[in-house]
Amino acid sequence: MNPRKLTIEKIQEALRSRQYICDKSLATVVYLSINLEKPVLLEGEAGVGKTETAKVLAEVMQTGLIRLQCYEGLDASTALYEWNYPKQMLRIKLEEVGGGDRKTVETEIFTEEYLVKRPLLEAIQCDDSTSPVLLIDEIDRADMEFEAFLLEVLSDFQITIPEIGTIRAKQRPYVFLTSNRTREIHDALKRRCLYHWIEYPTFEKEYEIVMTKYPQIRTLLAKQVCAFMQQVRQMNFFKRPGVAETLDWASALIALHREELDEKSMEDTMGCVFKYREDLHHLESEVADKKLNLERIFKDPMESQT
Amino acid sequence: MTTQPSDQEIISAVKRLSSVRGQGILANLLAFGRVLKDLGLRVGLSQVIDASRSLEFVDVTRREDFYSVLLSNLIHEKEGVSLFDRVFDCFWKDCTPDEGPMEIIEMSMPASEESHEESDSPGGSLEEVVPQATSQEEDLTQDGDLFFLPTYSPYELLNEKNFSEMGIEESRAISRAILLIATKIATQMSRRKKRASKGDEIDPRWTMRKNIKFGGEIIELVSRKRRIKKTRIVLLCDVSGSMDCYSRFLIQFMYGLQNELRSVETFVFSTSLTRITHLIRTKDIGNALERVSSSVLGWSGGTNIGRSLHTFNREFSPSLVTHRTVIVLFSDGWDRGDVALMEREMRNLKRRCHKIIWLNPLLDSEHYQPLCKGMQAALPYLDFFLSVHNVHSLVALGRTIQRIVA
Repeated sequence: MNPRKLTIEKIQEALRSRQYICDKSLATVVYLSINLEKPVLLEGEAGVGKTETAKVLAEVMQTGLIRLQCYEGLDASTALYEWNYPKQMLRIKLEEVGGGDRKTVETEIFTEEYLVKRPLLEAIQCDDSTSPVLLIDEIDRADMEFEAFLLEVLSDFQITIPEIGTIRAKQRPYVFLTSNRTREIHDALKRRCLYHWIEYPTFEKEYEIVMTKYPQIRTLLAKQVCAFMQQVRQMNFFKRPGVAETLDWASALIALHREELDEKSMEDTMGCVFKYREDLHHLESEVADKKLNLERIFKDPMESQT
Repeated sequence: MTTQPSDQEIISAVKRLSSVRGQGILANLLAFGRVLKDLGLRVGLSQVIDASRSLEFVDVTRREDFYSVLLSNLIHEKEGVSLFDRVFDCFWKDCTPDEGPMEIIEMSMPASEESHEESDSPGGSLEEVVPQATSQEEDLTQDGDLFFLPTYSPYELLNEKNFSEMGIEESRAISRAILLIATKIATQMSRRKKRASKGDEIDPRWTMRKNIKFGGEIIELVSRKRRIKKTRIVLLCDVSGSMDCYSRFLIQFMYGLQNELRSVETFVFSTSLTRITHLIRTKDIGNALERVSSSVLGWSGGTNIGRSLHTFNREFSPSLVTHRTVIVLFSDGWDRGDVALMEREMRNLKRRCHKIIWLNPLLDSEHYQPLCKGMQAALPYLDFFLSVHNVHSLVALGRTIQRIVA
């Protein structure tokens, strides 16, 4: 698929065909990023499908996905490139034994053969006919220093290795950054990106997502699950469940051959939705206080939304 | 919850810039960017230019697409979206191709030369250059002593306060004391290592790298050590009526801390919570204080710590508080809200953060005991419960913390 020929609607359609339901606004942002060659910064609560966007897009474009998972202490040698020191040492030792020419060895051990490529270099050097999708996941986990470094790479798409020279991207990768907002991303980086906030889905959208992912699910069960999720997200939980939890829960219920939701099966599977003991307790008390009207959700999932 | 400008403010901001609007999308976009900037959103010229470039790729007659394009280019945080929506509706409402934004143009003043210049030179900055007149120096002499004895002034009963008369000396004294404290509570070892001449371990990679010039024989050793990492501080300040007499000191404290350290988030609360980080992130204290006093409603109101903490935990905690965040609560603990709620929220907060420090200005008086229920509920979750009411106590606080941390 020629990415340049995609329209906003086509992107939305293509993502949908890969079981990723997205708003038009997200499709617009993706479309713009393809045409403007700008990175996209996706933010949103955990489990709303930030990472998935990039993965699915790579599938749609039939191109490689290069993922850089950020973590604290991530630095240039793990993100960009590193010399393969053991191999270099070995070569030197071998040459010593064989009495090789020192000058040649010195130049030869600093060639691509001795280079360990890390995700960013890989994305830039990619030789495929189509640009790869570069996913820089959870950028907020990396530290400020890394952000500054990223800035340089993302603005020019070139990397300078002193011993080899400057490597320039043949085609710019499609870059997606995701953040859970555990800290503020620096303005300079934000400015270079298109921004999109992924909201928790509406009832209709979530229902569609469940039905697309698990077509075998009973419609009533799907509606009940989604209605429950919508209500729970309004409430005060330590960790509000995302779409990922909805899907987990739905698949658990399918595996248990449930046709509709009842209190018993809900209790058994609540571990899919809440991952904190306090939240489970809180849920119990909300149900006991009738703030969360389970009967209504079970009986009339559509109605309970209003 | 950040304070949002009223509809009236938005309309007047749009009107103010209507003179800069003109024919063509770029001029209008520039004006739109200026309106957003005037209303407190961080919008730069480069973003406006990017937005106009982006518009080439979509059908601008479709409002929905037009909106998405502007939003994704101009706004870079979730908090800005709702304000953007309102400004967007107000600014682009009459832009049908035939009529143009007539309504607004009619009401506007004749275009001044200055504004034309700005709109005509896209190479310039969106920023207005307004010389900031500060009256700080004049107040230097009279305010010097006042600070050390927190005094009551009838003006402080007003909801909108005049904080501009701040002495430079006291400001510096506070900054120094705060810097000392801040660096103490805010330093932690990083997992990231750096090369160092006196490190505690050998860096094998760099050792090899350096010794390749000797043919691989290890001659020079390179060592490394852990870096020191600055912690994030979240400051929650009580600005209710009972804290009135400390408000000047308080604002200094907030300002000082915010500007000495990079990662400080500042909130004020009385019955509700307001984020003011963006209001005091500036080098110009006179203006910062003005902005704060004008935008925080409910200043000197009642206290509901529980509810404010609840808002904080729900809205801000997930993104701001991590295992290395130090929460600094500045309050006298006179809470009129639900004690159970407060306890629960304190517990939640404690679970997320590194340390909670409660600064209580009353603690220093001899007869004070944390008797009121709210304070008692909070006590088990505090790492430090310290007194602070003037520069002396701040310096003492610095020493205490130094001792604890060292």
